[in-house]
Order: sequence, then structure tokens, then C-alpha cells
Amino acid sequence: MNAIQVENLYKSFGDVKAVQGVSFDVPQGEIFSLLGPNGAGKTTMILMLSCLLRPDDGDALVLGHSIRRDPMAVKSVLGVVPQEIALYEDLSAYENLTFWGKMYGLRGAPLRQRVDEVLEMIGLTDRANSRVAKYSGGMKRRVNIGLALLHKPQVIYMDEPTVGIDPQSRRSILDGVVAMKGRGTTVLYTTHYMEEAQELSDHIAILDHGQLIALGTHAELVRIVGGLDRITLTLSAESPLLLEAWRQVRGVQRISSEDGSVGLLVEDSNQVLPRLFDAAADHRVRITSVDILEPNLEAVFLHLTGRALRD
Amino acid sequence: MKSIDIALQDMKRSYRSVVGLVFMFVLPLLTTTLFYFMFGNLASGGEFDLPVTRVIIADLDQGSPDLLTQLASAPGGLPAETLGEIVVLALQSEDLSDLLDVTLAADAAAARASVDRQQAEVAVIIPADFSRQFSTPQGQATLEFYQDPTLTIAPGIVRSILNRFLDGMAGTKITVEVAMREGGTGIASRIGEVVQLYLAVSLAQAEGSAAALIDVQPPGTTQEVSSPLVRIIGPIMGGMMIFYAFYTGFATAQSILREEEERTLPRLFTTPIPQAAILTGKLLAVFLTVLVQVVVLLIAAYVIFGIRWGEIAAVALMASGTVITASSFGVFFNSMLRSTRQSGALFGGVLTITGMIGMISIFVQGSPSAATLGNTVSLLVPQGWAVRAMVQAMDGAGAPTLGPALLGMLVWSAAFFAIGVWRFNRRYA
Repeated sequence: MNAIQVENLYKSFGDVKAVQGVSFDVPQGEIFSLLGPNGAGKTTMILMLSCLLRPDDGDALVLGHSIRRDPMAVKSVLGVVPQEIALYEDLSAYENLTFWGKMYGLRGAPLRQRVDEVLEMIGLTDRANSRVAKYSGGMKRRVNIGLALLHKPQVIYMDEPTVGIDPQSRRSILDGVVAMKGRGTTVLYTTHYMEEAQELSDHIAILDHGQLIALGTHAELVRIVGGLDRITLTLSAESPLLLEAWRQVRGVQRISSEDGSVGLLVEDSNQVLPRLFDAAADHRVRITSVDILEPNLEAVFLHLTGRALRD
Repeated sequence: MKSIDIALQDMKRSYRSVVGLVFMFVLPLLTTTLFYFMFGNLASGGEFDLPVTRVIIADLDQGSPDLLTQLASAPGGLPAETLGEIVVLALQSEDLSDLLDVTLAADAAAARASVDRQQAEVAVIIPADFSRQFSTPQGQATLEFYQDPTLTIAPGIVRSILNRFLDGMAGTKITVEVAMREGGTGIASRIGEVVQLYLAVSLAQAEGSAAALIDVQPPGTTQEVSSPLVRIIGPIMGGMMIFYAFYTGFATAQSILREEEERTLPRLFTTPIPQAAILTGKLLAVFLTVLVQVVVLLIAAYVIFGIRWGEIAAVALMASGTVITASSFGVFFNSMLRSTRQSGALFGGVLTITGMIGMISIFVQGSPSAATLGNTVSLLVPQGWAVRAMVQAMDGAGAPTLGPALLGMLVWSAAFFAIGVWRFNRRYA
């Protein structure tokens, strides 16, 4: 059974088409990632699925409830972790959790018990009574997530929950997401970090410019690029002429450049690399580093859009 | 229930803000305290400490044959042989000793010189024929009043005492003259007796006259307040309360914008609570916060300054009207803002200007000519209607009398509230 069914959603802001006819299904109990660069339409999707934005067209069902016709029912089964930290910083974690628990209808002893459980889950029992303003970024992120878990929702949306935090907190959050899945919760996870989507997801939808450009498991998506290798080269100096020359090299499928680093999709790296070095020498540009990677989601995105998935 | 939770949450945050608490409670009381010290002092129990006026009297009165025998034993056993001595004794009486320090000069020039040298504020010169003129049917008994032209209050007090004293005697004389015309000249010898009788009554009533002279009762007052200082401080405290209630209404309503910027408001919209209930909670927080502020200030002012606000029903209506108006005012203005960054100009400008206009009627209370204009101008802003209700309640008006002022507040509130809520609903639709 599908926890979420998205049917041909559209949303525009003036001339900007944020979401253009996106459809997908999220099976119950899965982690489903929406992957895409900034501005791809991920947050707009989350806002529509949270009933905070009304779609221009299309509909979505969350556990059978329509986001258009029954938004209150949708909200009652949802937990939403927004991209920005949305906490009362002048209150403690305990006070924040208590307040948001009340907003989801919890009262009295069950509320207190659940707050204690969530504090335990996010590892902040010891700091529960400190004001959130005094927390580190990672701790705030954990409280931000904890608020969405209070009412034990069956579906959780997490909108880029690891942005701007230290690796340790990031690891803790990713482990938490896996644990949610273990409890049978369906997680809709948006990110522009390819590694996160790759590590967590049962299914991945890749968005670009408001359109769904690929959907499948990690293995299915990687098969899109087939036997192509992903090469990343760092140059001593930027050279548009060199890039143009590389485009003409036999075996090069796609090429993108950013900040002195060039990403290429090539048919056989062993044969193509010497040709790339020769062309660089002709243009008097030195290659300072070379990375050859197995096909991954970055390669898929590059293959589909001709652009890199930027951090 | 969730609306109440939201309201209580907002209130908790408001009361945790030191700046908020200062604006809500400290500044109104502090400002009033400054006025309190400006107009009086706490050490004397809230009474005015008027400076003692130094009066120098040159009593040149040589008496009158018609008055001498009758005045030999003046009221209270005071030894007086002339009307001038009566005036001197009256000004030297025990009852006026807190107000007047009376000394005698040998002659008129010495008395005037004493004022010129600022050794006295007022000189009273009683002419030699004062008694005779008084006892003569067609005579005009006059006193010379010489004062430092730069002073107003001290000479005014002395003049007031003398006027009261002499007006009574003049009335007595007129009575006698009328009696003479009706009953014949034989009654002329009775003038002294009548004057003595008048003095007996007048001086017997003189106890407490000092207080009566400075007892400026507001029009129509029925208050039990005895301290004039409290009657001055009362409207000022009320004005401050209203002024800062509007600040609080504005600042508390700003939590809607602040939460939008903190992203907690959008997060609230992801919970299964209707938008109307969320906004109701927010508005309830504004209302309750201002209500607590007003109630605390009313009680604190009563306890600290002894201010009597009026009849309970009238005060309750005035307070409710103020709270509703201040809350809706805050909601309205915040609905006009895009972000909290725009609020600085409103805090500094609109609130202060409208607050000052609203309080004009308090500042011009002592000037009858300006009061009419002031009262009218103050009604151009919502604070003015609240001030009017407050002043009426303090004057002892009953609840029905406050009707027009309350209606004014409700009209303002309804307009502010309707526009504010409409704009917020549209914003978050």
C-alpha cells in the first residue's frame, strides 16, 4: 500500500514554474528521497504535501487523505521537519516539546511521558531544561526533528534536515531516520546531498527545474548511465578552450565545470584519460588531481541534465 | 483549547522578556513616580508641602469710635481694638501658621521695602482709616496689597485668605446698611456688634480653612480622595497606563510577525489546527497580556500612590475598553507590516504621536480654555477615548456615563480588528 500518492502536481509563483506535473508513489514504511539541486522544487513539493501551499493543479493522497479536500486529516497523520530550524529559542527543549505535543492533542501524563521519550531519542535528556538559544546547531536540529516525532506520526516529511551541521550531528540524524523506518514510519526525505539519498533511500526521485527527471531505486538509477565512468579533474587554471577541446574527445559523453573542477562522464576512463591529458598539454593547462568514480547519482544527474548536483 | 495553549505560550514568552516587562509595568509606574516626586513628596504622606508665605503687615489702622467698644473682646478672646488688628490676628491665627509667616512693619514704606528686598513675598498695608471707613455707611475700607511681581502662588494664597475674610465683612456691612435704611439711623451703632457676630462665626469656621483654600476638587467629583497630589497623579498614571497598554498591544501582536520569521508560525500551520484557531490564540494572547498589564497597573497604582480609579463597574468598563482597543490597535498595525524590521518607525513614531495626542486632555486639564480643544483633539486617536473613559471613571461617573467613550473605543476596535484579522487571514491563506 502506498503511504503517499502524488498525482500530477503543479505549482507556479508568477512566471516561475516551481513544480511541473510531478507524480510518484511512496510505499508505506519506506524512505523515499527527493533529490535535486537548490531550486529544483523539493521544498515546494513538501509545502504542498504538508498542505501549506495549495497546488495549482493535481492532488496528492497521504494515507488516503487528499491534500486538497481533507488537509486536517493529512496534517493529523503527518510529522513535518522543516528545512529551517523552527523552535522557540527563548524556551527550553522540554517546553518546546510540551507545547508542540499539545498542538498535536497530547495532554497530561501521556504528554509528559512522550516528551521524555523523544528527549531520550534525540539525546537531549540532560539538556532538556536549557534554553534552546544556548544549544549548538546540531542540538537545535535534533530538537527540530524531535518535535515532529511527538505524536508518533505514520508519515514524516524531512526537508533537508542536515543542512549546515557538523558531521557527528549529521550521522546522528541519518541514524535516526533509519530508526524511524525501523519503527514502520514512512519518510519523505529531501536533500541535495547525493550520498544521503544513496545511503538512506529505498526509492529516489530526482527533481530538476520542477520536473521529475528520474525515479527508482539507487541501482535502477545508476543503470541509466550504464557503463559510463565518472571522472573529476582539478585544473591549474580555468580554460574554456580546453573544455571545448575535451568535448570533442572521443568517448566523452558529458562535461560540466565548476570552480576549477571539471566533471566528465566517459565511456572508458582508461582509454579517455590519456586523450584528456594530451589536450590539456596542448592548451598549457596542468591537471592537478584526478578522481575516477563508480557510477553514482551524481553521474546520473550529470547524464540527465548536463549539470552537476552542486552542494 | 489549543487556542488557549497558543495564547498562554505567547504570554509566557512575553513575560520572559525583560524589555517587555519594563515597557509593561516599570515604565508606567516609574514615569508616574517621577511626576509624584515632581508635584509633591512621599515623605509627607502624599500631601502638598506648600512653601510658607512670608507676609509683612503694616497696620496703621487708628480705629473707629463706633467699633472700639464692641471689638474690645474679639472672638476667641483675642484682644483687638481696631478692624486692622482683627485682620492681623486673623492672618496670625494658628490655623494659617502652616501657610503664612506674619511679621509686622512699623509703616507702609518699611513693609514695601521688605518685599523689595525679598524678605517677604507679600506686604499688606492697612490704612489709618480702615476701621473708620468700614464703620461709615458710605465709606470704603480698602487694604493695600504689595507683592513680588514674579510670584503667583504665594500672593494668591494670601489674597485668597484676605478676600474671603473681607468679603464676609463687606457682606455684613451691606446687611447693616440695608437695615439702617429700613429701620432708621439708630441702628448704626449696631455695626460693631454685627461685625463681631460675623467674626465669631467666621473665625469659628476657620479651622481647616487652609486645607479648603487649596482643595481643588475636579468638576463633579464624588471621590473620597483627600490628597490633592493623588488627584493630580491619578490622571497621569491613567494616561501612562493607556499609553503603555497600546505599546504592549503592539509589541505582543508583533509575535505573529516574529513567529513567521522564526518559522514557528508556518510550523504551527502544519499541525492539525485550523488557521482560525491559531490566529485566535495569537489574538487572545495580545488581549490577555494587555489585560494583565492594565489590571496590575490599576492595582499597583492604588497600592503605591493611593489612586482611586472610581466605581468598580465603571473602572471595569474603562479597563475592558482600553484592553480591547489597545489589542486591536496592535493587531491592525502589525497586519500592515511585512516584517518586524519595519516596526521601529511605528514604535517610535505612530505609537508615541497617537499616545501623546490621546493624552492632550490630561495635560490641559488645568486650563479651561484649552481643555475643550484638547478634549476634542484627543478623540482623533483611539487612546483619547480610553483617556476620556478613564477620566470620567476617576471623576466618579457611573457606568452609564461612560457609554459614549466606550462606544468610541468599540468603534475603533471593531475597525482595527476587522481590518487586521482580514489582512492576516489573507496573508496566511
